[in-house]
Amino acid sequence: MSPRPRTVTGLRTEPGLATITLTWDSLGFDPLIDHYRVYAVPGQEAPSAPEESSLLAKTVYPRLVHHGLDPAGETWTYTVVAVSDAGRRGAASRPVTAASQASVTATGTPVAVIGAFDGRTLEHRFAPSSYARIPEEHPEALIEYREGVDSPETAWPYLLPGPGDAWAGRAAYRARWTFPLESAPTEDHDLAVWLVDTTRLGGILRVRANGEHATDLTLPQGATRGSREGDATVPGSTLRRAFFEPAVPAALLQEGENVIEFELAEGGWAAWDAVGLFARA
Amino acid sequence: MPSPDSPALVSRRRLLQLSGASAAALALGIDARAAQAAPLPHQEGLFSLGVASGAPRPDGAVLWTRLAPEPLAEDGHGGMPSRPVMVHWEVATDEEFTAVVAHGRALAQPELAHAVHPRVEGLEPATEHFYRFRSSRAHSPVGRFRTLPAPGAEAESFSAALVSCQAWYHGHFTAHRHLAAEEDLDLVVFAGDYIYEYGITEANLRREGASVGEVHRVETETLEQYRLRYALFKADPHLQAVHARAAAVAVWDDHEVQNNYAAHVSSTGIDAEDFVHRIAVAYRAFYENMPLDLAALPEGPDSDITTGFDVGSLARFSLLDSRQFRDPAPADAAEQQREDRTILGAAQEDWVAERLRSSEAQWNVLANGVVLVPITEDRVDMWDGYPAARRRLLAAMDEARNPVMLTGDIHRHVAAEIPADPEDPAAGALGVELVCTSIASDGDGARTDGYTEDWLQHDYVKLYDGRRGYVHLRLTPQEMVSSFYVVDWIEADDTAEKQLTARFTTPAGEPRLIPA
Repeated sequence: MSPRPRTVTGLRTEPGLATITLTWDSLGFDPLIDHYRVYAVPGQEAPSAPEESSLLAKTVYPRLVHHGLDPAGETWTYTVVAVSDAGRRGAASRPVTAASQASVTATGTPVAVIGAFDGRTLEHRFAPSSYARIPEEHPEALIEYREGVDSPETAWPYLLPGPGDAWAGRAAYRARWTFPLESAPTEDHDLAVWLVDTTRLGGILRVRANGEHATDLTLPQGATRGSREGDATVPGSTLRRAFFEPAVPAALLQEGENVIEFELAEGGWAAWDAVGLFARA
Repeated sequence: MPSPDSPALVSRRRLLQLSGASAAALALGIDARAAQAAPLPHQEGLFSLGVASGAPRPDGAVLWTRLAPEPLAEDGHGGMPSRPVMVHWEVATDEEFTAVVAHGRALAQPELAHAVHPRVEGLEPATEHFYRFRSSRAHSPVGRFRTLPAPGAEAESFSAALVSCQAWYHGHFTAHRHLAAEEDLDLVVFAGDYIYEYGITEANLRREGASVGEVHRVETETLEQYRLRYALFKADPHLQAVHARAAAVAVWDDHEVQNNYAAHVSSTGIDAEDFVHRIAVAYRAFYENMPLDLAALPEGPDSDITTGFDVGSLARFSLLDSRQFRDPAPADAAEQQREDRTILGAAQEDWVAERLRSSEAQWNVLANGVVLVPITEDRVDMWDGYPAARRRLLAAMDEARNPVMLTGDIHRHVAAEIPADPEDPAAGALGVELVCTSIASDGDGARTDGYTEDWLQHDYVKLYDGRRGYVHLRLTPQEMVSSFYVVDWIEADDTAEKQLTARFTTPAGEPRLIPA
C-alpha cells in the first residue's frame, strides 16, 4: 500500500466579505492525494476528532474558499484531512479559527440598492445568458438607471461590458445610477459592489460620484462563466465572485439628485450581483 | 514507506531506485508472487467496466481491466476493499480458450483503483488473440486483439477506426454499437475527450432514459470524481464492446482535465500552482482507465502518453500529446504569430520529426487532439492558434511518405487535403487529415449547421458532416480508403442505423481525397 498521507500543516485563513479563504501546505504527489477533506464547525471550539457531519467540502487543491457566509460576519473552526489515492486518510490538522469580515450590507442602512446581494445575477436584465442583447439595447455603451423608476429586470443588464469584449464593440461601457438624498450627508457612506463573476482579463471598474472620481476597483481574473450562468451559489459552481466595499466621502454626495457612475475602463465584463449605497449606523 | 519488496509500488521514480525489472513487473502486476488470497466480498459484477487491450506490438499487447463490483460507489473505488486483490489473465488463439498461449497474474491495487495493466509478451505476430481475466471465481468478458505484423514484414492491409468526444450525457453510444460490429478492425484510435469534466445536470442531460445521482452534478476536480466519471462512461455496454473488439490507443484532449486548458494554465482562472494538483489526479484517472503501458503512468502532474509503433513496413503510427506542453492561448495576433510558440513542446516536436524522417513505412499516421489544417485564425485552441509550430510539423511531415493526421475535437466529420502552403494553392497538398465527429457530444447533430461554411470555404476541405459517428480507414501498400459513418440520432435511443456519408480513396504517393 502507498504510505498514509502526512498530516496537513500550515493551515492559514484569510477573512473576506461573506467568505473565509483557507490555504495549507501542499502534500505533494507521493502518495498522490485524492482530495483534502475540510471540516468546519461554527464557533471557536472544534471536536477532538472531525465528525463527518461537519464535512464542509472536498477539494484537490491546497485551498478552499468557504462561501456563502452571513454578510454580518461568522466565526468558524476548521480542520483538514488528506486522503490518498488508495483511500487512506491522514491525521487531522491542528484546528484553526477564523471570522469573516462584516459587510456594510449588514451593518449599514441602505440608501439606494440595485439587485439583491445573494450571489445571483438572475434578477437583472438579460440574465443568465443573453449578453448579445446588451450592445443592441445600449448602442451608445451607456446604461441609465433611476432609483424609484427603474427595476433591475427592466433597466440594469446583468453584465457591464468593457474594452476587452469584442462582442460588445470593445467599448468602455458606463452605467449611470441616479438616486435622491433627502439631505446632504454629514458622514461618509459605503458603496457595496458585489460581482458574481469577471473575465480572465480582469479590469478596472472606475467609480465616479456626481462627476468626481471616487475610486478605481481592480477586478480580479474571473472564471468567464458568468456570461452564461447566473447563480454562484450552486454547489460546485466555477463562478468567481468578487466583493468591493469602498467608502464614498460625504463631500461627494449632495442633497437631492445624486449620480454614481461605473465605467469599465479596462478589461472584460463584470457580472453584477448587486450594488448599494449604505449609510453607517 | 513501503518495503522494497512491497507489491504496491506505483511510482516510476521508486521503481527506478529499486530492482529494475522485477519491481517493474510488480507495478505492472505481471507475475506478482505476493498474492493476497482472502476472498472478495463481491463476486457478481466484478468486471462491470469491461476489458480492454492496447499498446499493440508484434509480440503482444497490454491487457486492461478494473475491478468494480459497484462501479458508481461514490468514493471512486468501485466497491472494492482497500487492499490488493489478485487477478489471473490468460490469452488464447481461440475464443473457447482451448489453445492458451500465455497466462499470468496481476495485482489489482487500491492505489490504481484496482486497475491492472499487464503487458503480454512472446506472442506470434499478425495473429488474432483472445483474452480474459479471472478473480475469485468471477470471469471477465472475453476480449480480442490482433498482434502487429513482425518488424519490416510486408502487411497486406491494416484497418483502424477513429473516434472522439464521448459526452455520455448528450446521447447514446450508437456509433460504438456499430463500430463494435465492424468485421475489419485491427485498432481503435481514441483522439481525445474520452470523458467530459462538466457537471451533469438537467440542462445538459440529453441521453433519454438516463439519470445520474447527485454526485455527478458537479464538475470533476478530485481523484474520486474523475474515477467516478470514467466509471459512468465506461459502464456503457457499447463502449465496452468496442474495447473488447480490438486493441485501442488513445491520446487526450482537454476534457480529460478541463475545457481548453493549456499545460498548467486553467481556462477558469485557477492558479497554476493549484491547478497542477487537478492535472495530477486527472492524468492518473486516465491511466487507470485506459489500456496504456507503464510509460504513461504519471508522476505527479507529468505524464508521457506519446507513443508509436510500426505495422510491419506498411505504416508507422505516432500518437501526440497536443495539450500538456502547449503555450497558452495567445493574447493577440502578434503573439499568435510568434515563431517560438509551441503546441507540442520542443522535446515532442523533435521526437515526432525524427520518427517521420527515419520512417521507411509506406504510410505515416499521426494522431493528436486538435485540428491541424488552417481554417480561421480565431480558432486559437486548434493548430490555427500555433501557426509557426504548424509550419515546423508540416515540414517534418513532408519528409515522410504519405503522411496522415487523425484528429477529433470539433464534433464534425471533416476530411481535408493538407495544403503544403495555405497561401499558395499551386503548392498542392502534402498529406491528408481525417477528422472524426463525436460519438455523442452535442447530441443528435445535423449534416449541416452554422459552421459548415467556415470549413467548406477552403477548397482543400472535402467533407463536412455534423452528425455523430466514426471514421474507418483501411491501409494497403497501394491506397488508404477512409469511410465516414454517421447515425441520424442518438438522444432518443441507440437504434439508429449507420450510414456511409462519404468514402475517399487516397492513392499512395498522391495526397488526395478521391470520392470512392
